[in-house]
Amino acid sequence: MQKEAAIREPLILGHKTYHDITEDVCRPIEDKAPKMWYILFGIALVIGLYGVGAICYLLGTGVGVWGLNKTIGWAWDITNFVWWVGIGHAGTLISAVLLLFRQKWRMAINRSAEAMTIFAVFMAGTFPLIHMGRLWVGYWTLPLPNQFGSLWVNFNSPLLWDVFAISTYLSVSLVFWYIGLIPDFATIRDRAKKPIAKRMYSILSFGWSGRAKHWNRFELVSLVLAGLATPLVFSVHSIVSFDFATSVIPGWHTTIFPPYFVAGAVFSGFAMVQTLLLIMRKAMNLEAYIHTKHVEYMNIVIMVTGSIVGTAYITELFISWYSGVEYEAYAFLNRATGPYWWAYWSMMTCNVISPQLMWIRKLRRSLLFTFFISIVVNIGMWFERYVIIVTSLHRDYLPAAWSMHFPSHIDIAVYIGTIGLFFVFFLLFARFFPVLALNEVKTILKGSGQSYKESPDYHEHH
Amino acid sequence: MGLTRKYWKGIEELKETPEFIKHKEQEFPSQQTIEQFLADENLAETSTARRDFLKFLGFSVAAATLAACEAPVTKAVPYVVKPENVTPGMPTWYASTYYDGNSYASILVKTREGRPIFIKGNHEYGFTKGGTNPQIVASVLGLYDRERLTGPKANKKDVSWSSVDKEISSAIKSAKKVTLLSNTVISPSMKRAIAEMTTALNGEGGSKFEFVQYDAVSYSAIREANLKNFGAEIIPGYDFSKAKTIVSLDADFLSSWLLPTEFAVQYGQTRNPEGNMSKHFQFESVMTVTGSNADYRGMAKPSELAGILAFLINGLGGNAGIPVAVPASSKLAAEEALKSLKKTGKDSLVVCGSNNVGLQILTNKLNDRLKSYGNTIDLTNTIELFYGNDKKVQKFVKDVVSGKGPDVLLMLGVNPVYTLPNGDDFGKALSKITTVSFASHEDETASLCKYICPDHHALEAWNDYQAKKGQYAIAQPTIRPLHDTASALESLLVWGGKAKRGGKDSAVAYDYIASTFKLNAPTGDFAFTTHNSCMDVTLAPATLIFTDATASNLPKASDLEVSLYQKAGIGTGLHANNPWLQELPDPITKVTWDNYITMNPVTMEKDGYVTTYDQEHGLNTATVTVNGKTVTLPVYPMPGQAIGTIGIALGYGRGANGEKIGKAAYQTKEYGGHDLGENGKPKTIGANVFSFASTVNGNYEYSNSAKIAKAEGVYPIAATQIHHTVMGRHSIVRETTLDIFANRDKEAYNPAHKLEKLNQEGHHEERPVSEFDLWDAHPVEKIGHRWGMTIDLSSCIGCGTCLVACQAENNVPVVGKDEVRRGREMHWLRIDRYFSTEEEAAVGTKKDKDNFSYDKAEHAAENPKVVHMPMLCHHCNHAPCETVCPVAATTHSNEGLNQMAYNRCIGTRYCANNCPYKVRRFNWFNYPSYKKFVEVNPAQDDLGRMVLNPDVTVRTRGVMEKCSLCVQRIQATKLVAKKEARVVADGEFATACSDACPTNAIIVGDWNDIKSNIRKSSEDKRAYQALEEVGVKPNIWYKVKVRNEDNNLLDKLQVAEAKVEHKKSHH
Repeated sequence: MQKEAAIREPLILGHKTYHDITEDVCRPIEDKAPKMWYILFGIALVIGLYGVGAICYLLGTGVGVWGLNKTIGWAWDITNFVWWVGIGHAGTLISAVLLLFRQKWRMAINRSAEAMTIFAVFMAGTFPLIHMGRLWVGYWTLPLPNQFGSLWVNFNSPLLWDVFAISTYLSVSLVFWYIGLIPDFATIRDRAKKPIAKRMYSILSFGWSGRAKHWNRFELVSLVLAGLATPLVFSVHSIVSFDFATSVIPGWHTTIFPPYFVAGAVFSGFAMVQTLLLIMRKAMNLEAYIHTKHVEYMNIVIMVTGSIVGTAYITELFISWYSGVEYEAYAFLNRATGPYWWAYWSMMTCNVISPQLMWIRKLRRSLLFTFFISIVVNIGMWFERYVIIVTSLHRDYLPAAWSMHFPSHIDIAVYIGTIGLFFVFFLLFARFFPVLALNEVKTILKGSGQSYKESPDYHEHH
Repeated sequence: MGLTRKYWKGIEELKETPEFIKHKEQEFPSQQTIEQFLADENLAETSTARRDFLKFLGFSVAAATLAACEAPVTKAVPYVVKPENVTPGMPTWYASTYYDGNSYASILVKTREGRPIFIKGNHEYGFTKGGTNPQIVASVLGLYDRERLTGPKANKKDVSWSSVDKEISSAIKSAKKVTLLSNTVISPSMKRAIAEMTTALNGEGGSKFEFVQYDAVSYSAIREANLKNFGAEIIPGYDFSKAKTIVSLDADFLSSWLLPTEFAVQYGQTRNPEGNMSKHFQFESVMTVTGSNADYRGMAKPSELAGILAFLINGLGGNAGIPVAVPASSKLAAEEALKSLKKTGKDSLVVCGSNNVGLQILTNKLNDRLKSYGNTIDLTNTIELFYGNDKKVQKFVKDVVSGKGPDVLLMLGVNPVYTLPNGDDFGKALSKITTVSFASHEDETASLCKYICPDHHALEAWNDYQAKKGQYAIAQPTIRPLHDTASALESLLVWGGKAKRGGKDSAVAYDYIASTFKLNAPTGDFAFTTHNSCMDVTLAPATLIFTDATASNLPKASDLEVSLYQKAGIGTGLHANNPWLQELPDPITKVTWDNYITMNPVTMEKDGYVTTYDQEHGLNTATVTVNGKTVTLPVYPMPGQAIGTIGIALGYGRGANGEKIGKAAYQTKEYGGHDLGENGKPKTIGANVFSFASTVNGNYEYSNSAKIAKAEGVYPIAATQIHHTVMGRHSIVRETTLDIFANRDKEAYNPAHKLEKLNQEGHHEERPVSEFDLWDAHPVEKIGHRWGMTIDLSSCIGCGTCLVACQAENNVPVVGKDEVRRGREMHWLRIDRYFSTEEEAAVGTKKDKDNFSYDKAEHAAENPKVVHMPMLCHHCNHAPCETVCPVAATTHSNEGLNQMAYNRCIGTRYCANNCPYKVRRFNWFNYPSYKKFVEVNPAQDDLGRMVLNPDVTVRTRGVMEKCSLCVQRIQATKLVAKKEARVVADGEFATACSDACPTNAIIVGDWNDIKSNIRKSSEDKRAYQALEEVGVKPNIWYKVKVRNEDNNLLDKLQVAEAKVEHKKSHH
C-alpha cells in the first residue's frame, strides 16, 4: 500500500469502498442503456454512414471528387490524418509515460484515453488509405515478397516509415489497452447474470482468475509494454512530421518538426480526452473518480505542450526570416498575411493564446472553461495541420503554379464522417467496456481516496 | 488426381485377380452415364481423399476466380499480307502541306499502321522551314471527329453521290447565275478547275458564273493599299530575319497575322543575342503574343496608330499628310523606334495589322522612306494568301441578303453565317437559293444549305498549293478516306462534266493535280514533289515602283475602342471543335475554353470590376455594345491593354443553334453532358464577335467604337495560371539587356548562386551551389547517355505549339473547362507567363531589395514586360519526387531520365507535392471512360482513340504522370542507331516540343556527348538552372532572356551594384 502526502488532493472523492468502485464502473454496462445513449449513438451512426457513403463515392469515382489540384496534392485528407494521429497520442502517453512516472491520477482516465487513441488511430489510418489514387494496390507499400523480382518498397520514403510507425503504434496500443482490460473483464464476467454476456466476457477475460501469479504477470507485462510504448509516443508523430520535414517545400522543410509535432499531438490528444471525459463523467456518474484535480492535471499538460507549440511557431517565424532564404521567408510571410491568413490566425489564437489562460488557477479548475478550451484547442490543431499542408503547398517555388484550395462537399463529408464513426466506436466502448480501469483504481483507493485521507487512522501514520 | 504415377494398390492389382478385375471396371466408369454413376449405391461408400477434395476445391475456386476476372476480348487483326511501306510498330512519315484558309505550313505527317497521329513542321523543305502553329499541329485530331459528315446530304437527308451530282449538275445548268464563294484558293489545280468552269458556264463574255473569295479574317486593305501605291493588288513577302528593326502596329505576326508560320521562324533567327539581335517595337491595344515579345511595347488605341505612323514618317523626314500624335503610353516606344529606324534604315521592317487602307498606305509610306522594299519586303515573291476583296464580298453579301443573289451558291471552305458581321441575315436569305456546301460538318452555314457535299479532311486528300508565288507545294493523303466524302476539286470537275466520280479510291483529283503540274512545269518531276512536298519556282523580279497616295478614312477615335483579335488556339473558330485547342491556354491570359473582354486592370479597379480570380471566384461580366449588337462576356484583367480599349477574341460562340460541329465545341456540365441553354440547345463556348467588325470604310476592320456596361453575375474562368508575376524571384527567370549581355561578363547578368562553406583554413568562403551536395552523385555523368534540354527564354515566343505537340505525342488527356478551373489540367508541358511589376527592374529582379513590397509585387505593371517560360519535368538527378515515393514508382534511369512506372504507382501524390517545379500531373479520374469527359476527351470514343500514339501508354485513374522527355522517341532513336551499329548522332533525337518549336528555343540531346549542341548550349554564358539552389540538379537549363532595350534600373542592379558586392566579398 502506497501512502502519499495528506496535503495532496485525494484522487477518489467521497467515501467509496472497493465494492462501490466495482458498482460504479459496472453499473452502466449491466443496466439498460439510457435513452440518451441511443440518441447519441443514432446521430453518430448516421453521420458515420454519411462519411462511409462519401468514401464509397470517392473510391468509385476517383480522388478528383475532393478539392485537390495540380499544385495542392494533399489538403483535408492529410490534415485529417495528422489531426487524428495527434489526437491518438494522449492515450499511450497517459498509459505508458505516466505509468513509468508513477502518476497515479492517470488511472482514472487511461482506459478511455487509450480507447480514444485506438479509435482515433483507426480514423487516422483511413485517410492515407483513401487518399491513394489506387487503394486496391495499396498493399504494395508493405515489403512483401513478390514475383516481380527485385521490386521492393522504397525505404527512403517517409510515407513508408509512416506505414510502419502507424501500424506499430496501433498494434502496441491495442495490446496495451487490452491487457489492462483483462482483469476488469473478469470482474464483469463474475458479476454477469445473463448467459450470453457471461460467455462473452469470459472469452474476453482470457480466463483471468485473479491469482497472485496473474497479477504478478499483469504488472510485469504492463511495465514491459509501457517501456515499449514510450518510444512510440515520440516516434509516431516524429515520423508523421518527417512526411513534411524531409521534403523540399518551404514551410515543410523544417528540422524543428519532430518535437513540435509531438508536443502538438499531446496537446491535441489531451484536449480530446478532456472533451470526452468531461461529458462521460457526468453521463456515467463518475464524478468521484474524474474530478477537478484530474482536469487540472490535464490542463497543466495542455498548458505546457501548448507553450512548446507556441514557441515552435515563433521559432519557425524567426528562422524563416533569419535564414535569409527567399522562399522560406515568403512561405511564412504568406502564412500570416497571404490568402490563408485567417487559417493562420485561427491557429495562433487557438493554440498559442488559449493554453496560456491555464496559468490562472481558477480557469484551469473550471470544468466549463476547460470543456470550451478543449474544443478550441482541437479546432486550432486542425488548422495547424491545414496551415502547414495547404498554405505551404499553395504558394511554393514557382508563382505560375500557385493555386488555392477549396474543399468539395466530399472533403467535408469524409471528415465529418470520421468524427461520426469515432463516436460510434466510443459510444460502443462506453456501453460495453469498463470505462475506468476499475481494478487499477482500487489500488489507489487506500492511498488517494478521500475517505482514507480524511480518516484519523490515515493521519496517525504520518 | 493422385494417380499421376503408376502405383499398385495392392498385390491383387499386380497379380490381376478376378476379383480385382471386376472392381476395376467400376473404378473407371467410362461407359457409365452420369446418371448411372450417381445412381450407383456404392458411390456413397467411395470417398474422395481430403487432400484431393482440397485440391478440387482450390482448383475450382481459382478457376472460377480467373474466369470472373477475364479481361474483355479485344480483337487484333494482323496484316495477312504486309502492305508496302507499313511495318507494324514503325512510323511512316509523309511530307505534305497544310492549308485551311487561315494558316499555311509545310508539314510532315506521322502515320502508324495507316493512321495519321502526329503533325510537325517540315524543317527541310518549304519556306515555312519547320514553322507551324498550334492549330496545324492539332488539326490531326479533326480527322477523327465523331461528328464529321460521313457522306453527302440533300435536304438534311443522307443521299448518294450519284443523286446529288445529278441534282447539282442540273441545277447549275438551269441556273441564271451561279456563284462559288470560297476562302482564298491557293491551289493551282482548283484555280484551273474554276477557270474551266468559268469558261464553260460563261462562254464568251457571259456572267453566269462568278467566283468570290472571302476570308474569315480579311487582309484586303494590304492589297488595296498596294494597288494604290504600286498599282498591283499584292501582299508582298516579308523577311523578318533580315530586319534589324521591327516595328509592328497591331500586327500579331508571330501568332495570327498573315503568315505566322513563316514569320515566327524568321523572327526566331533574329533573337539570338550572340548574333545580330533585332530590335522589336510593338504598338497595340490588346497584348498579343507578338507584343509580349517586343523589346519596347507601346499601348495605343487602334485610332492612335495613324498618329504614331505619322510621327515615324515625319521623324524620318517624310510627310505623312496627317497630324502627328503619339499617346503618352507609346511615347517612349515611339521615340526609341524612331531612333532605331534611323540607325538601321533599309534593314527595317514596318508592318501593320489593321485592315484599314489608310493605315496600310501610311505603313507603305514608312517602309518606302526606310527603303525596305526590295530588302526586308519582297515585291516579287508575294504572299498568295488572303485574296478576299472586302468590297466585292460586301457587294455579294448585300445582293444575297436583298434577294438579288445567285440561283446556285457553292460554298467552299467558308462559313459566312458565322463569320460575316451580318451572318444571320445572310443565313436567312440562303433559303431562297440552291445552296451547296463542301463543309465537313453541318456547321452554321452548311446546316442551312440544301446540299452538303463534304470535302475530304486535309489529311485524306491530294491537293496542290502556292502560298507564295515562289513555291509550289503538294499535300498528299496519309489515310484512305474514313468516310464517304469526296474531294471538292473532284466535285467541281464532276459537276462541270470534266470527270466521273471515282468513289472512295478515286484518282480524279490526283490525276488532275498531276496534269496541272505538268501544265505549269513541263520539266518538273511530280514524284519528287510528293517526296519533298514542295518545289521552288523561279520568278522574274517584279518591277513595281512606289507612288505616294493619301491616307484617308483612318480609324476614328472614340472613348472606348474594341479590338478583335485571334487567339493562338482558336484563330477564326475553324477548329472550335478541337478539344486540344480549346484547352490550349491563351499565351498571354492562360485562359482556356472561353473568350472574354480584355481590359486593363487599372481601368477595372476604377470601374469596380474584380481583378483577381481563382477556382471559386470568377470574373465580373459586362455587356459590350457595338454596331447595335450586344454581347455579354466576363471581363479579364489584361495588363498591357491600352487604356480606353477592350479586346475580344474572334472564333468563339460557334454553333449558336446547336449545329453538329463537334461535341467539344459546346459547354459541358459538371458531371458531363452538354450544358443546355434556355433554347434547349447546348450553350456555346464564349460568344461570337464577328458582328463587331466595322464596315464603315468599306472594309472589314477589326476594331470599332464600343460601349460597355457592367452586367450582373460572376462568371467562372478556367485559367491554368492564376498568379501572374514572379515576385522578384531571381532564380526562376533571369533577364538582362543586350547591352549588359554584350559588354559585361556572366557574373553581371547570370551570377552563380553561392553559399558559404568552411574552407580548409576554417574560414567562410562563398562557393557555387553546384559544389554542395547531400547525396552521392547520380552516375549519369560521363557514362552512356545523359539526356538534357536547354530552353532559350530569349527566343521562346510563347506561341504554345510545343504544348499541343506534347499533348498529341504523349496522349495527354483533355479534361474540360470545369477541371481546368479546378487547377487540374493535364498538360505535361506548360508555358509559365510572367508579367513584370512596378517592384521589379525586369522580370525577376527586385528594384530595391530592402524595400521590396510583396503586396505590390503581386500586381503586374500597367504595361508589363513579359517572359514566357516553358516548364516541364526537369529530370532532376537528385529528384525530390523519387525519394518520397513509397513504392519506387518513379525512379531515375541511368540516362538521367526521371521515369514513371504507371503500373507501380499507387497515387499518394507525395511526388507532386515535393516537386519544386510542380510539373507532375495526377489522374484524378479515369479520363478515358468517366462520364464527365465524354464530350471533351478524344480518347472516349473509338474514332477519337485512333489519334492516340501507340508508343505511349494511356494512363488510368489514380496514377501520376509527367513529361518523360519523350522516352519513346529516345528508345526509337537508340534502336535505329543500334541496328546501324553506331552511336546516336547529335540532333538525331528530338522531343515533340523541341521538334515543334518554330524558333528553335528548345534544344535536346545527349549531354554526355561533349560536342553536342545541348552540351554547348548548357555551358553557354546565358545558361542557368531554375531553382538551382534547391540542389535537385536538373537536366534542364534555361538561357537568360535578353531584351534589346535600355534599362537604367537593370544597369544599376546588374552592373553598378553587382560590382559593389563583388568588392565587399574581397574584404
